[in-house]
Order: sequence, then C-alpha cells, then structure tokens
Amino acid sequence: MPSIQQQNEINGHNTMNNLIEIKNLIVSFETEEGKVEALDGVEFQIEEGTIHGLIGETGCGKSITGMSIMGLLDNNALIENGEILFKGKNILKYSEKRLQREIRGNEIAMIFQDPASSLNPVFTIKNQMEEVIRMYQKAGKKEIVKRVMEELSRVKLPDVDSLIYKYPHQLSGGMKQRVMIAMMLSCNPSLLIADEPTTALDVSIQAQFLKILNDLRQEMHMTMLYITHNLAVISEICDKVSVMYAGRIVETAPVRTLFKNAQHPYTYKLIHSVLGVENNLEDLEEIPGSVPRLINPPKGCRFHPRCEEAKEICSKEVPKLKKIGEKHFVACHER
Amino acid sequence: MREKLLRIENLKKHFGSPSGDVRAVDGVSFEIFKGETFGLVGESGCGKSTLIRTILRLLKPTSGSIYLKNKDITNIPKKYTNFLRKQMSLVFQNPHSSLNPRMTVYDTLSRPFLIHKITTNREETTVEIVKILKTMGLQAEHMIRFPHELSGGQKQRIAIARALAVEPEVVFLDEPTSALDVSVQTKILKLLNKAKKERNLTYFYISHDINLIRVVSDRIGVMYLGKIVEIGDVLKVYNKPLHPYTVGLFKSVPEPDPDKKITEIPLVGEVPSPINPPKGCRFHPRCPHAFEKCREIEPELKPVEDGRLVACHLY
Repeated sequence: MPSIQQQNEINGHNTMNNLIEIKNLIVSFETEEGKVEALDGVEFQIEEGTIHGLIGETGCGKSITGMSIMGLLDNNALIENGEILFKGKNILKYSEKRLQREIRGNEIAMIFQDPASSLNPVFTIKNQMEEVIRMYQKAGKKEIVKRVMEELSRVKLPDVDSLIYKYPHQLSGGMKQRVMIAMMLSCNPSLLIADEPTTALDVSIQAQFLKILNDLRQEMHMTMLYITHNLAVISEICDKVSVMYAGRIVETAPVRTLFKNAQHPYTYKLIHSVLGVENNLEDLEEIPGSVPRLINPPKGCRFHPRCEEAKEICSKEVPKLKKIGEKHFVACHER
Repeated sequence: MREKLLRIENLKKHFGSPSGDVRAVDGVSFEIFKGETFGLVGESGCGKSTLIRTILRLLKPTSGSIYLKNKDITNIPKKYTNFLRKQMSLVFQNPHSSLNPRMTVYDTLSRPFLIHKITTNREETTVEIVKILKTMGLQAEHMIRFPHELSGGQKQRIAIARALAVEPEVVFLDEPTSALDVSVQTKILKLLNKAKKERNLTYFYISHDINLIRVVSDRIGVMYLGKIVEIGDVLKVYNKPLHPYTVGLFKSVPEPDPDKKITEIPLVGEVPSPINPPKGCRFHPRCPHAFEKCREIEPELKPVEDGRLVACHLY
C-alpha cells in the first residue's frame, strides 16, 4: 500500500510544495452566437519557487486561465466546475471583497502584455508605486519613498532618482514593463502571473527583460506563471511547461523533456514549427487546418481534425491527462 | 551580371513634428536584383515600414532617388502611380484589416485584373482568379466567401494572391506572418516560396523576426534608426555578422532550446529617438567597441569583404 505522499506523486499531486493547484477548471462564456467553452477541464500545479510556462496559440484559453486565477473574468463568464487551490484554499469560492483583501496584489499579482495600458498616464511613477505600497503595508512617507527606490533599482532601471518623477509616456516600453514588475514585486506576492509580458517588446529589450526575470528568480525564489505563445521565451526561463490547445491542457512536462521528448502530436508539431538558429523552412512542420472555434468545438480530442495520428476513438472520447514519465503528463489516446 | 531591378540612392523620409523632424528613413541606399529575395530586418521604429511605403510612393520621399529598372520614379506624378502599382505590389501585416469585409474573395481578387486591364471579360478574370487561388493552396469555392468566413491564414493567402495577381516585378512583404500563429506561418512561408519559383518573382521581405528573415532571404540588410548598417549574403551575415549592432541583435534572439540560454545581455540600453539621433555613428551609445571617431563622424556604408557592405569605423 503506497503512502499518501507516494499516492499523491502517482497522481501528480505533490501537495507538499505546490503553491497553486488548478483542478478540472471549466469556464464558459455566454455570447450572442452561443456558449463558448473557453476552458474545458484545465489542470496543472505550480511548485513553489519555479516558473511555470503556459503556452498555446491565439484563443486557446491561456489568458482566461490567468484571469480565472485572479478572479478577473468578465461578467458573462461562467465558472461551471473546478477548484483553484492556492496554498490549499479554494480561492474560486472567495467573494470579490475577500479576493481583493486577501489575494490580489499581496498574494497573487499579475502583469499584462501592454504596459502602457496598465499604468495610469496622468500620475508619475512615484505616485503609482507609492499607492501600491501604501495599500498593502503600513509605513511612513520616507520609508515608502525608500521602498519605491529599492524596488525600481532591483529591476535595474537606470537613474532612479529622476525616473520616479516621470510620467509613463516619458518611458520606453521596456522601462514601463520593468516598472510594472517592480510595482508587483513591491507587494511581495507569493505568485506572479505574467501574461505575454514581452510580446510588445523588441528582441533586444526582451533579452534584457528575460535576464532581469532570471536574476530576480535566483534572488527572490519567485514563483511565476508565465503565459506566452513564444516557445523560445519558454525555453529561456521556464522550469515546467503546460501546453494548451482549444481550452484544454494537452501536455505538461519539465521544459527539457518537453523540447526533447514531446509526446502529444500537437506539442511536437508546435515545437517543430518554430524557427531556430539552425533549422530551415523545409525542416518545419505544418499543422493542417486551423484552430477550431470554441462555440461548437470538435467532439472527443479537440485536436483530432488536425491530427495525423487520429483514430476512431479520438473523435469520440475526450483523452484524460495521464502520467507517462517524471512530472510528464499527456492527454492523448495514442500514448 | 544580374539585372538590377530596384536601386535606391540616399533615400530620406522625414516627418514633421512639433519637437522636430522625425528622421524615419535617413539616407538609405541599396539594390535589389531580379529573382532574389531581399530581407530587411530591424527592430520596431527603425524605419522599415516607412522605407517600403516611400519606395512604393505611398509616401513622398524627402530626398534621394528611387530607380525601377533604371527609370527614375522618385518624382513620378500622382496620376502615373497606377503604373507603379502594377510593377510593385504590397502585402500588409494584418490580413484582418487589409481585406474589405464587404467584398467577396472574387470581388477583391478581380479588382487588380480590372484596374490594370489584364483581362477583358468575366470568364477570363474567373480563370485567372482560380489559377491564382490554386497557387496559394485555395480552391475555386473560396471565391464566393467573405473575409469573415475565412481563417487568418486563409485571409493572408488571399491578400498575397491579390498582390501576385498583377504579375508585379517586385512584391513587398511587410511582416506578412507576424499577425498569425506559428503553425499557420509555416504554410504561408512555403506557399510564398512556391509562388516565387512558379512565377519567377522578386521579393522584398521585411520583418523583425531574425530567424524568419534568414530562411526566406538570399541577401539581407540590417536597419537601425533610419539607416542600413550592414548588407550581405544571408549566410555570410549570419555566420559572421560584422556590425556590432548585427552581432548584438542576433545574440538577443532566444533559441527554442532549453540548453541554449542567453547568459548576458547582448545589447544594453534602448533605441534613441529618431527626432534627435546621436551624433556620429547612431549606434555608438550602445556599442561595446565605440571609440572617439564613432562619436564624431558618421560611418558610410562601404564594401568590406566579399560583397559585404558595413557602416562601421571598425572595418
């Protein structure tokens, strides 16, 4: 008889150091055209001190997952099922008031794709940073300013003394995104959710930003959910990755396993459709067809209409996420 | 000797603004040969899109010259630009906004044939449209569809078909896949390659995606802050970039391989404003090799080794 711990490991729930566990999350949206099944049984865990990547193409539900964790879904969203266990407590059950008081900002913080729209254009960086610090901590005026300076220097922003008196439009995109990171870190959240934070940035600025994140992770033992469509970025900073397709997780694995030994046909094709330094156009894989609309998604495995290995069962039964190796889970009938 | 299709000489395009002229394109010279794909790579705001629009005469050049097959088209009057549209066509970045939502695919694709009087009647037009749809991997039945009935990748294929319909000398591709998902991108790139072979086309491809430019181009140019800093054969530039900016840019690209990570920041600082670009070499404030001369004298784009042009005082 295996112990509870072993049992948990077999099921993939190593509850000991999981900061957050998402279980069978089902979210749908009411629209004029009908019900959109945006998330259909999303499941993954993030271990403390790791960066967990969530990757998928446009419309696969990766941002909706992030928003569900923050409790920031639109009014027409319906959470039909599931649990989000944060430090063992189901925060999906929390009221808006309790979420705002106990979770958002001080426990889970989020940064978005476009830093320009996350900052208020009519206040200086100092004003906005102070407001955040004041909201969660009791401190004197001088102490707060000191904290603002510290946080901004931590993300390696130059000339902090003059920078704090600037307005967002006076900063470049990369600097704004660093201010956002500093602002989020100033409340010492246990989990940081980053939704495509470098998509709006140039490659040279992206490289700087990723370096800063990597350094901060070492320094602060940060736990992060990193949402992106860019596989190269995932390989740069993530420890573990979940691949999403049409509202479901199709594969979860440590980053090296995923890149070297992808099991799900979608993951494999996705990885081999990205250009690296060495491969050429002829080496690239194509995925026939396009991502299905989620108003009336394909039955069974949602990838089956585009899958070369699809069998009869694939169009009938939804494949369950099953363990096939060390921390490696895949949802495919053929594996 | 390869035929020179397009020659650009010291082309400038400045935009007026309250705080001074924005020098979007500031003295660019290069050539495009018949049958090649010339790739232009650079980060946002370096002036790639402005350059394309100026060459196509969608914008009026501030100074410099543009020669198309040795014919000076720099100051060609507006009423003759129709002639240019048949010689040079453009595919835009976002297919969702470059197709008219109220026109069927047939309507959209018949326009170039009618405007340029390539076909004389409806039957001929239809035959040509079916042909071009086939080239782009679509079927005749797509003719009666509206853009909203198509996926992003299909829309972009229609936009490319429209650009190819006039049998242009040069096709300008302005980030044609950056609005699309990676799985769709491969298909578009392969179709573009196929169309090029079938129709013996010349492409001018711009993108910020360095690996993409590598696989599609024969020769590439690297642009920084309104200037071209390096031009050369694609493999030579990739294997041995010479300009310090090219070196840094290539190193900044993350590789989709967890065993290869960026260990140090390849390019420090940020791109300066094109309103008041740095004196001397525009790259000198970010350049690890900058010396006295770089701060004073602007380097010219000059031949360095086997057909490579570099604008740097180091060479």
